[in-house]
Amino acid sequence: MLKLIRLEWKKNNIVKYICGVAVLALLLCLFLFALAFLGIAEEPDGTLDAAEGMNMISAPVELFTSMSFLIFTSVMLASFLVSPYKNKTMNLMFSYPIKRQKILVAQMAAVWLFNFFALLVTKLLIYACISAGAKTMRSSFEIDVDMGSLSFYVSLLTKTVVIVSMSFIALFVGLAVKSSKATIITSFLLIFLTQANVGDVSLAGNAAVPVILTVVSFLFAGLSVCRVETRDLP
Amino acid sequence: MSYVLQTNQLTKIIDGRELVKDVNLHVKKGEIYGFLGPNGAGKTTVMKMITNLWKPTGGSIELFGETLTPGSCEVLKRMGSIIEFPCFYEHMSGRENLQLHCEYMGCHIPGSVEESLAMLGLTEAAEKPVKRYSLGMKQRLGIARAILCKPELLVLDEPTNGLDPAGIKQVRELFKMLCTEYGITLMISSHMLSEVESIADTIGLLHHGAMVREVSMKEIAGTGTVYIELTVENIKKAAYVLADKLALHNFKISGEQDIRIYDGQADTKEIAGTLALHGVGIVSICRKSESLEDYFLRMTKEAVR
Repeated sequence: MLKLIRLEWKKNNIVKYICGVAVLALLLCLFLFALAFLGIAEEPDGTLDAAEGMNMISAPVELFTSMSFLIFTSVMLASFLVSPYKNKTMNLMFSYPIKRQKILVAQMAAVWLFNFFALLVTKLLIYACISAGAKTMRSSFEIDVDMGSLSFYVSLLTKTVVIVSMSFIALFVGLAVKSSKATIITSFLLIFLTQANVGDVSLAGNAAVPVILTVVSFLFAGLSVCRVETRDLP
Repeated sequence: MSYVLQTNQLTKIIDGRELVKDVNLHVKKGEIYGFLGPNGAGKTTVMKMITNLWKPTGGSIELFGETLTPGSCEVLKRMGSIIEFPCFYEHMSGRENLQLHCEYMGCHIPGSVEESLAMLGLTEAAEKPVKRYSLGMKQRLGIARAILCKPELLVLDEPTNGLDPAGIKQVRELFKMLCTEYGITLMISSHMLSEVESIADTIGLLHHGAMVREVSMKEIAGTGTVYIELTVENIKKAAYVLADKLALHNFKISGEQDIRIYDGQADTKEIAGTLALHGVGIVSICRKSESLEDYFLRMTKEAVR
């Protein structure tokens, strides 16, 4: 399995994605640092211009990293799993003496693992920058980051798992209609669904939502895989 | 007789359309099987089912003595294939594509990549990314990949597509060599008989999704492909002489003056002499052989009727 994952990375030119993630992480870091300390989210009089409940620094950090990585993961899933169906390299993959389900799982795992670690590192980088900045600079946000506590890391891990897994829903849609565009558009819709708030109602704060979402995501991942053995290739 | 591959009443229906119907084909070990048929006859459909890309609606496929199931994958290790047009990871070089193939096939024969590249004359282009390859080069790389792991059975769908005449000749010789030296069984589809007639041992003719004939080349060469065409002035008398004096009964009268004698053994001199002796004026007489092309055209036409 590990070998299959490694081969997926190799043939999909993973270096390209590493560069992409590095740029993304740096931009996010710069932007969020500026948001926290350079006052780009402040009114001219120095008060914070943020929605109710968004005045803690973790809120924008979670929002922007989740958004970016949900899209990034979907783009990767599209090019790892959806495009091979379109450019027929999937025919080639399925002519190997490897179970089709195993191939698909390997492809999904390749994307999942990569983005899991990428998002983890990005978030750690951002929180580290903010923690460091908080020592010397004043922020209009409430700094609710405690990098010394265990709960910080637990929540970091769970949130990362949820976000990266959620893109499997987008993948399912993309595979169903065999379209990379559909995959990416679905990931946008997922962001609206999970991060946005309608009036007072938002799914972002609810504790049960991440659990349900992850379960649903893996369910969709399973659906994408289960019938592949008996289905004809286009 | 041991068959490497055989199908039994193989049928494929998609959206109510019968693409392939009750096909029985038999590929013997160590032979080259020419799979012929006009465009749209269902050759690719059959080959897709053999390589397990498509699942049959009815009937069964037996590969190396085992029945193919939707989940079969071990058997693919013993096969090499090109179905439709070969696809590659375009940003990778030819060599990298072949190396990747080895990894996935789980075969590690030292030097096999270099050997395959050399066999198809791709050594110089090996480092170029595949997206810079021409159509013919891609096709050759596809063949190189199919033979890379020394499979027991090669399933090639129109392998000479996009090749120039020299390339076709080279590839044809390669196939012959693979068959005789490595004992590889080949199944090659084509819509052009001339492409496979010189190398194939057996020919299966598919038309409108049904198997019309499956014959060995030896059999075709031996039977009824030679005839004598005779043009005479008095056809009735000529027929009488042929039947009565020369004891030739296998002939057909077509038109006012033409007679075709389907007896390869008959001697034209003797026929001419006897006819002249009985006062039948001969306009022309010549020995003709029905080309394989004609034979298959006749077969497909008969199948349509």
